[in-house]
Amino acid sequence: MTDVMKVDDLQAITEQVWQSFLDPEGSDPLLLSLLEPSGGDVAAAISVTGAWRGHVVIGCSTAASRHAASALLGVPSDEVTEDDISDALGELANVIGGNVKALLPEPCALSLPYVVATAGVRWPAVHEICRLDGMWRDEPIHITVLESTSDYQGAAAS
Amino acid sequence: MLAMVIDDSRAMRMILRRIAVQLGFEVAEAGNGREALDFLATSEEVPSFALVDWNMPEMNGLDFVTAVRADQRLRSMTLMMVTTEGEQSQIVRALAAGAHEYVIKPFTPDAIEEKLALLGVVATGADA
Repeated sequence: MTDVMKVDDLQAITEQVWQSFLDPEGSDPLLLSLLEPSGGDVAAAISVTGAWRGHVVIGCSTAASRHAASALLGVPSDEVTEDDISDALGELANVIGGNVKALLPEPCALSLPYVVATAGVRWPAVHEICRLDGMWRDEPIHITVLESTSDYQGAAAS
Repeated sequence: MLAMVIDDSRAMRMILRRIAVQLGFEVAEAGNGREALDFLATSEEVPSFALVDWNMPEMNGLDFVTAVRADQRLRSMTLMMVTTEGEQSQIVRALAAGAHEYVIKPFTPDAIEEKLALLGVVATGADA
């Protein structure tokens, strides 16, 4: 099932998130680009289970993750902690993932977000169905939608 | 005047807090529905409104709304879900449980303010 999500949908969702939370003044938009595929230094993800199974993942550089936490929490970048980064990136994954879920077959359920501060995170038994690459404040950002290829049915949506 | 912000994300609580403070409210925060109920059980003042996330650990927003609606003392509190759960079926569930309004993340401060004004919780720009 690979037609559930188009890159235009993902772009529209991502732009709304940037306009609402990361760039409300319109001065630092996410600039879409053709970057080399990369997972980034930090990954935040949320899983979807039910009628569709997979993950929505935000990967970015450490600097981008600090910028995001700074923007969301309203603290200077040099005062951002690892907890701040986990909280902010997790919420971004939650918001983007929730809006992706609304486009998927029902019923589906969202997990709570999780954040991994390790380069080159790999997701087993998935294939990529949609990807958005961009630069934000001169730092790379990648947003991917990964569909599970395993037969495991996962938790039913409640 | 007191408002509540209930969300497991500190970043989202911060964003919602700024909006409520801008509207002239003091703000109490909770990281999930259970924490919020614990606060309300001991608070002398019933908040004018609560902005409530859906997906939270320990007690989710839907269960919190249901618990508040079952408590006569909290009857005056306006409940607004602020969540990524955007499907029609989820909105219907929340409103049926007793939520007064529903805002899907991402949102703008204006969207929250306009819905609170429609509910009569804050003055509209014309009234202010």
